[in-house]
Amino acid sequence: MAAKDSPLKQFEINPISNIELGGYNISFTNSSLAMLITVLVITLFLTLTVNTRSIIPSRMQLISELMYNFIAQLLSDTVGDNGKRYFPFVFSLFMFVLIGNMVGMIPYQFTFTSHIIVTFALAAVVFIGVTILGFINHGIKFFTFFYIPGVPFYMHPLLIPIEVISYLSRPISLSVRLFANMLAGHTLLKVFAGFVVSMPFFTGVFPLAFIVALTGLEILIAFLQAYVFAILTCLYINDAYHLH
Amino acid sequence: MPQLNPEFFISQLFWLAVFFSFLLIFLWRVSLPRIAKVLEKRQSKIDDDLSSAKELQEQAQQIERNINDQINKAKENASEELKKTISSLQDEVSSKLSILDKELEEKVSKSEKDILKNRDDQIKNIDEEIINITKLTVSKIINVDLSDSDIIKTIKSQKGTLN
Repeated sequence: MAAKDSPLKQFEINPISNIELGGYNISFTNSSLAMLITVLVITLFLTLTVNTRSIIPSRMQLISELMYNFIAQLLSDTVGDNGKRYFPFVFSLFMFVLIGNMVGMIPYQFTFTSHIIVTFALAAVVFIGVTILGFINHGIKFFTFFYIPGVPFYMHPLLIPIEVISYLSRPISLSVRLFANMLAGHTLLKVFAGFVVSMPFFTGVFPLAFIVALTGLEILIAFLQAYVFAILTCLYINDAYHLH
Repeated sequence: MPQLNPEFFISQLFWLAVFFSFLLIFLWRVSLPRIAKVLEKRQSKIDDDLSSAKELQEQAQQIERNINDQINKAKENASEELKKTISSLQDEVSSKLSILDKELEEKVSKSEKDILKNRDDQIKNIDEEIINITKLTVSKIINVDLSDSDIIKTIKSQKGTLN
């Protein structure tokens, strides 16, 4: 298969305007454009739909309120009252990933969440923030997080390293989960799109039907991964408050 | 795999930081407070409506109680009035009856007196008649004129035996 038709070609980054700052290449790329579109969609939607501030909401206002309540409920269920302070962050994270995924579902649109560097950066912000939060809340006692009470003492040499590794692998699992899902979904769509073109006569209809079904599934996954990202962030915040 | 090409890592991170911080600050400062305000407003409106509904319900119940009280009072008044009227009517009737009784008694006693007087008068007349008849009979049968005093004497002597 020629590189031109590779299903991974869609993930290539193309600079739109070349910018350099302090010797670093910070070109505005198609990835940055997708982020810009995402941020514009979110801010405009949440601002315009709630503009009337009506007591009886319009349909669009209701969507904004439902999203608000969805994340507020998620936070209060997992973290409790402490979680209210992190609501703007978790909400922004959820909306950014969700709309980023959804924008990526538009044909020919770039999906920035399919880039490991982006998802890893988001996960790293969560990981570093939660770790700092844990140290602020518990000081040096935060290390008891790796000590599991109620386990026979001779198990600790085994369990504590496992706990430490599992804690340190959080940003990796969080970022790879989102990245891999997006990568796999879009690659699969592209592969089947290639079948539609290359199969003889009308048999291309079958992969086309598959693409239609897969698009529905991908939209579901787009939502689901944003939800998973948000709920895991909530759980990590909760861990920073409540050690074992 | 383009994802592992570090050429645009810095660019991606830079723009991610720019756009995500903008999004976070914008939502935190503008959008979310607006939505929160709307939700709060709705909640307070609902609470207000509920409390005013409760108040109105209480007022309605108070009014109902008042109405019931008034109805009960009116019923009591009516029955009292009825009792009073009945007793006053009874009094009147009994007083009138007693007056009537008295009048009747008077009339009866008067009539009795009249009757007695009449009888006495009649008895007196009977005596005279007897005298006259006796006189007439004696003069016709034996041609003797008797004086009244004789006849009375005789009658009196006879009356003694009769009575």
